[in-house]
This record gives sequence, C-alpha cells and structure tokens, in this order.
Amino acid sequence: MEVQKEAQRIMTLSVWKMYHSRMQRGGLRLHRSLQLSLVMRSARELYLSAKVEAHEPEVPLPPVRSPDPRLHQSREAEAVAEAAPPDGEQPSPEPMDTREAPRAEETPALCAPRPAKVSRKRRNSSLSDGGDVGLVPSKKARLEEEEEEGASSEVPDRLQPPPAQAEGAFPNLARVLQRRFSGLLNCSPAAPPTAPPACEAKPACRPADSMLNVLVRAVVAF
Amino acid sequence: MSGRSGRADIISTVEFNHTGELLATGDKGGRVVIFQREQESKNQVHRRGEYNVYSTFQSHEPEFDYLKSLEIEEKINKIRWLPQQNAAYFLLSTNDKTVKLWKVSERDKRPEGYNLKDEEGRLRDPATITTLRVPVLRPMDLMVEATPRRVFANAHTYHINSISVNSDYETYMSADDLRINLWNFEITNQSFNIVDIKPANMEELTEVITAAEFHPHHCNSFVYSSSKGTIRLCDMRASALCDRHSKFFEEPEDPSNRSFFSEIISSISDVKFSHSGRYIMTRDYLTVKVWDLNMENRPIETYQVHDYLRSKLCSLYENDCIFDKFECVWNGSDSVIMTGSYNNFFRMFDRNTKRDVTLEASRENSKPRAILKPRKVCVGGKRRKDEISVDSLDFSKKILHTAWHPSENIIAVAATNNLYIFQDKVN
Repeated sequence: MEVQKEAQRIMTLSVWKMYHSRMQRGGLRLHRSLQLSLVMRSARELYLSAKVEAHEPEVPLPPVRSPDPRLHQSREAEAVAEAAPPDGEQPSPEPMDTREAPRAEETPALCAPRPAKVSRKRRNSSLSDGGDVGLVPSKKARLEEEEEEGASSEVPDRLQPPPAQAEGAFPNLARVLQRRFSGLLNCSPAAPPTAPPACEAKPACRPADSMLNVLVRAVVAF
Repeated sequence: MSGRSGRADIISTVEFNHTGELLATGDKGGRVVIFQREQESKNQVHRRGEYNVYSTFQSHEPEFDYLKSLEIEEKINKIRWLPQQNAAYFLLSTNDKTVKLWKVSERDKRPEGYNLKDEEGRLRDPATITTLRVPVLRPMDLMVEATPRRVFANAHTYHINSISVNSDYETYMSADDLRINLWNFEITNQSFNIVDIKPANMEELTEVITAAEFHPHHCNSFVYSSSKGTIRLCDMRASALCDRHSKFFEEPEDPSNRSFFSEIISSISDVKFSHSGRYIMTRDYLTVKVWDLNMENRPIETYQVHDYLRSKLCSLYENDCIFDKFECVWNGSDSVIMTGSYNNFFRMFDRNTKRDVTLEASRENSKPRAILKPRKVCVGGKRRKDEISVDSLDFSKKILHTAWHPSENIIAVAATNNLYIFQDKVN
C-alpha cells in the first residue's frame, strides 16, 4: 500500500513536471522529457504490480516480455497489460528493459489521442473486476470523454498550452494534459489532486481510482 | 531555487585556453568574460599569476523562433578555445542553437591624421583641405576588442549540448540531443551531419546524446555519451554517417543498486578525453568513471562523488537536483580528476595514490592566499565537529563547472555566479 502511494505520488509529480517543463524558456527539453517519462513509467509499473499483488497475492505475476497485443499469457498479465493499452505503436523490443515487467507501450509515445482511440483494440472489455475498473477504461467512459473533448473550449485561458511546437517529441502533450489535468494542474504536487471533471462525469469511474485512470491514459498518450 | 535560476550572471561554462594564459567564462545572460593571467614580474612576486578581467562581451542574445513559437535562451552552454595561431585569440561559444566564432584581439595603436576626417571623426569639408598627409599610427591605451567572425546557425533542431574543436584545427563538431554536425571554420552555411540517432518514429526514442568530444590527437576519432550511460567511439573514416560505432563502452548494471531512478542517474552528463588520448572520463549523477579506450566492457576506475545521495534520490527528484549536469576535468598530467558536488563542494581524486579530497568554494574560506581546508560529509551516526551532515547540505549551491589549467595546478571553480581560482602554493 505504501509502495502504491509512493508510486502514485511520483507519477503525479512527474506529470506536473512534464507540464511545467513546456512552459520554461527555451522550449521543451528532449532529454528532460525522456527522463521524466522514464520515471513515470517506472512508477506506473511499480504501482500496477503492487496493485495486482494486493488483489491476487497467491498468484505470482508472470513475466510478459512482448508488448504484442495478441499474447494472452494469463488473466493477470492481461489485467496489468490492459491498464496501459497499446495505442497502435510498434511492439519494438526495448533495449534498456532489464526487468520482465509487462510493458504495453514504450517511452515517449506520442499518439494523438483521437487516432489512437480508433485503432485501439479492446482486448478484454469483459475484464471488469471490481478491483480493475480503475485500470481498464470502459468503452462507455471513453465515449463520454470524447464528447467532453469536443467541448474543450471551456478550458480556462490560463491553461491554454503554449503554441504548439512543431519540433520536439511530444506535440500532443499539452492538449492531453490540458484535457485530463485541468483540475490537477492548479494544485501543487504535494496536495492530493482533485479528479478532473471529465472523470467524475463517468459512472463507471470509481472515485478512488479516478486519479490513476486519468494518469494512465495521459501516460499512454504521452 | 527558482529565484536563483533567474539571475543572468550565473556562470554556465568555464574554460582555460591551451596555454592557460586566458580563462573564459560564459553565463546565463549570454555574456562571455575572459580573464588573463598577469605576467610574472620581479617587482610583484606576491601577485604571481593572478587572473584579471581581460575582455567582456555579449556573445548571444535571446532570440525568438517565430516558426515554432519558441524562445531561444541566450545562455552560453559551452566555450572552446582554438589554439593560438597569431596575435589574436579565437574561441567558439554556443547557446542552444547557434555557435559563434569570436576573435579577441588587442589594439594599442590607432591611426591619426586622416585627411577627410578631423580628430573627433567628423567629416571635413573637402573644400577646406589644402594639403594631403599620410596618417600615422600612434600608441593608445590598450583596448581589447571582441568581434564575431563567424556565425554557425540553423543546423540544430534540438538543444546543443557540446562543441569540440578538432585536432586538425580546421573543423569542429556541435552536438545536440539527437545529432552531431561537423563544421569547417570557414564555412557557415553548411555542415555535415555525422551522427543521427533520431528514430524514424519518435515514439521509439529511448536515448539521447548528452556530450561529445574529439580525440585530442586523432582527427578522425570522437566519442559521444548517451543518457543510458553508454559511450560510443566513432571513426569518421569508416563512413560519412557515423551511425555505427567503432567501440561501445558500457558497464553492466549492478542489480543491487537498482532503484526507481536508476535509469536517470546513469545518464552521462560529461565526457572528456585524457590529455594523452588513452582514456576517457565520464560523469554520471553519483560517480566519475575512467575508461581505457582498449576496454569496452567496464571502466578501469570508478570514483564515488557523493554516494550518500543514493538514499535521497526521491527528494532530489522532487527538487529537480537529480537532473543537474555536472562536468569533470583532468589535470594536465592526467593523474588527478576533479568534479563538483553540492554545498559548493568539489572533489578531487588522485588516480595514483587513490586519495581523494573534498574542498569548498566559499567566500568565508577563500581569503587570498588562505589554504583550503578539506571538508567531510558525515553520513550517519555521530557527527564530528567540523563535519557537515547530509541533511544540512545546501542543494542550491552546486558546482557544475570547473576547469584545470593545462599544465599547472591552477583550478577555476564556478559556484553559481562566483568564480573561484585556486592555485597550488608550491613555490
């Protein structure tokens, strides 16, 4: 539980840092963004593996090396892999992956959220454990969110991202973060973030996991 | 921390020239300040070898990239001197996007006696001129002027982290996060791309280039380091695009040290060839390593700079200190290496005796001709009288940039906006 909390805190912190790195003079720094995404990913894996262990302590987590969506090793592996659904990126082997943790996507994946949703394979929508609803975005939730995104004009001006950078690895980051974290980004990282309005509108979203839900999706899009 | 980082006089690079006569510093505000060593004179033995300001100029200005709506910082990332070939001095200075070649020269005479201008420079009415004279050169007070001779722009999409002058003195390279370009000093509108690690799909990006340097003697060889803690040695004779390395230096990870932040603290922040060209030294967040060019699978020496920080990585991530990029330097004989740390501490490691020392660059300790006292960080348990505990370290006082005179034991240490110059007392 402590591990989970710590991992969640690190994830929140990383997202906050990512957002603010875009605002600094000189533009987005590629190296810094890469490092932040590495930490974010480590934290997320730690969080997810801690969560899985908490739910099913008797069954050890089997290693899933390939992010190939066609692989279904076991239910546990699916549960964890589903949490970070592949957004249609290549299952390329990651040279620096020294652990055999499930890796459903790679580092700075800049999928535009819209096309990613179109190509996303819903492998396991039947997997709706009570404990995993937070990890697995349901179809209903996603559709409602898309409607929400259409009305993004309500986003306050101060959260408008700086004009899009044509260069750099993460052109969609600002849009994603803006949609997902409009509530979060007003807080300092130390304070527990309030769930963004988009999340609360969805009945399928459990309040306790709404933060993770939002974070996971942001990471995937990132 | 944010207050400090807004100051324009924070030193961002320090470099001696090849003779050690000049010392250049660059700062966050785009300014370059050059110090010159005083000539030794019999009259003033005590002032032997003091460095005084020789020239100050604005190298880079803030710019705005309208196409990308990005501000380009004027901060000087690196300065590198060219070897002296005539009376003038030449140096390269770079910010994130543009490299400039500056000529620094002295003027101690000026022409007088123009025909068409009077002494104040005002034009004379030609009708009033009845005789012609030849202007003569008269002595004047020494003036040091810096002029930009070349501007090498528009060649880098990402942020430049290194420049390195080749031993052929005709070319140099500039490296950003993903690419390295080779330039000829005479040609500003073209450069050769010699390394390109940008993946076809940026989603697959896993590492970036963090530093690069030419071999000191072999003009075909250079190394570049990565954010994954690896170093590649490349030979430009092998192919035009050096995507395949000649040698690949990587140390296997120690599984017992694995943590949340392992990946980011293994990123190499600086790489330097030894003067001999036989070794390379790399700096990552917690250690300095010396590698033999002939052995790729592990370094020959590893020095712990501040291992007591290993248990504090989470806090250092929170305050962004974990991203600090420390540099490292060799002394002239390659027997001692030096690098910075926090609390204005810097460390020296003697490679032969295996002894190390921690010193502090601070005003209180640095009266002229005072001897620096070694400092010690108390890791746990009882703290002795003059030790400092890890929790008392001031992480806003960091020494990222240091330089060592090419032949003598004189070091320059940049502590935020102050430059300290220390010399050996041996007479």
